Amino acid sequence: MNSDKGNARLLDVLEDRARQVRRDVWRALRAGGSGHAGGSCSAADLLAALYFHRLNVRPDDPDWPDRDRFVLSKGHANAALVSVLVRAGFVPESLLDSFYAFESPFGMHPDIKMAGVEMCTGALGHGLPIGVGMALGSRLRQQSFHTFVLLGDGELHEGSNWEAAMAASHYRLGRLTAIVDCNRIAQSGPVSELMSIEPLAAKWQAFGWSVVEIDGHDMNEIVTALDSVPCEEDRPTAILAHTVKGKGVSFAEDTHVWHSNAVDDETYAKALRELEN
Amino acid sequence: MEPDPVQLEWRQRSLNQTRLAFGQALQCLAGRDDRTVVISADTQDLLGIRSFRAAFPDRFIELGIAEQNAIGVASGLATTGMRPYVCAYAPFITARSMEQVRNDVAYARQRVVIGAAASGITLGVAGGTHHALEDIALMRCLPNMTVVVPADVEEAYFATLATQDIDGPVYMRLGGRVEEPSVSHVDGDFQVGKAVRLRDGNDVAIIACGALVAMAVQASDALRKSGIDARVINMHTIKPLDEDAILEAAADTGRIVTAEEHRLTGGLGGAVAELLSTRLPTRMHMIGMPDEFGIVGPTPEVRARYGLSTEAIVHACESVLGRGDGYDPGAR
Ligand SMILES: [Mg+2]
Repeated sequence: MNSDKGNARLLDVLEDRARQVRRDVWRALRAGGSGHAGGSCSAADLLAALYFHRLNVRPDDPDWPDRDRFVLSKGHANAALVSVLVRAGFVPESLLDSFYAFESPFGMHPDIKMAGVEMCTGALGHGLPIGVGMALGSRLRQQSFHTFVLLGDGELHEGSNWEAAMAASHYRLGRLTAIVDCNRIAQSGPVSELMSIEPLAAKWQAFGWSVVEIDGHDMNEIVTALDSVPCEEDRPTAILAHTVKGKGVSFAEDTHVWHSNAVDDETYAKALRELEN
Repeated sequence: MEPDPVQLEWRQRSLNQTRLAFGQALQCLAGRDDRTVVISADTQDLLGIRSFRAAFPDRFIELGIAEQNAIGVASGLATTGMRPYVCAYAPFITARSMEQVRNDVAYARQRVVIGAAASGITLGVAGGTHHALEDIALMRCLPNMTVVVPADVEEAYFATLATQDIDGPVYMRLGGRVEEPSVSHVDGDFQVGKAVRLRDGNDVAIIACGALVAMAVQASDALRKSGIDARVINMHTIKPLDEDAILEAAADTGRIVTAEEHRLTGGLGGAVAELLSTRLPTRMHMIGMPDEFGIVGPTPEVRARYGLSTEAIVHACESVLGRGDGYDPGAR
């Protein structure tokens, strides 16, 4: 960053973008009648920072070979992904109102057929192996793009993540970053009660990764972490982002009830009032 | 045209096992296309890819004993334009990583080729955990997937080379440490989805794949001595199925026998029955593994125990023709 003033301006812009993501998420959920508000809104700041600051992508040339890769492994946060794709200019804004609609490209989970979407995800535990493949491909093709994979914390129950984590450090994939949206809650309740994943930082370290822990709603911390990867040239980095499920709307925050829930006009209006303030 | 020296290498080495022919073909592919990349799941000897590793160390990726990750990594590699070939055990790469194959490869339509060795009961002594008797069913029910079952080393080699031109995922079903007799006479000309007639005949048609093709040819030759002309069709591609060859055989003979080293549920016989029952109902007899897990034993003996034999095919043909001694190999 050139200056503190420039940095402050960037953070303001990104925070604005994140608020837009949350409004878009609730807008999409109202259109669909329901959806995953919790995990979409916990990831809103991370996605805004990725798409409007960190990722080197070209909305007018979505398949540009040297683009950075982003895989939303926690595919149920698709509404947040589609929001940033809309706001970045990959896809039209009207898409937001077609959530869950018949034959819509915008369903519950990302589909590779949509411009800007790198993989069909949503079945959990798939994104990190795919990210490892992308990072290996970057090396084999002598490209220098970076691959980011956004995972849920409950998702880490899936063993395939740890197969991929092992492979990523074995192959010294410095240009691979896993971001874990640690909102502490899964579909049925707290992750710690369902199946503890702690000590999480120690687990990633034991698998050979550099680990950064941040407040996943503090834009300064997010930008600093994204700008700092790879922490070490020949190691993949795990950014453990501590977040609040449903962040931004008080009645949806920190509860498994809003992992996925119905959204009617009245609920939407209530949510939007909080997001406009 | 000068024969490709790498193409011929497997002959010189007498690698009479389809799993090794696949590994040899990968070297030829890598020489032709620098996007070729090989993934091993601790299967370097199983598919004979140590020589590939020596020749192309940068394009050889060992991922250890982790099949789910292997498929995901292959999918990610394919998105970058690489052409990954996953070398694995048939029972594990299909059943264990089925969801990765379905979502990351078939649904996302990535050009990933799975070389699945030790299919069927080629690991007879290893027992039911290591018999792959559901893999054709699992793979052929996936949209976008091409499923190939070579009958011998020559066919495995040239079918593997042919994957270069397939725009989508491929499941290549390979054998284990069993030497299958040479029967395909593919002679460099392998066409995906185009069945090969190995014996003419209009009394009955035997549609076989994999190891059962050689048995079908032997059965046809034996039947001819008793005046029965049995057509033999090598159905090396289960998907896309050569419907014309099947419908023609059904129309010409009115009697179909299918033979495969796979459970009767959902394999080649199932595919043929699905077609004929809706398009041209035909008297059929299906040879394959019954609805049970396989016993332990040497592969030829275990095969014979479940009626995967020349004799059983002969009996099945006689049975659908209403001849023979009344022995019905399908009546269990
Ligand atoms: Mg969670």
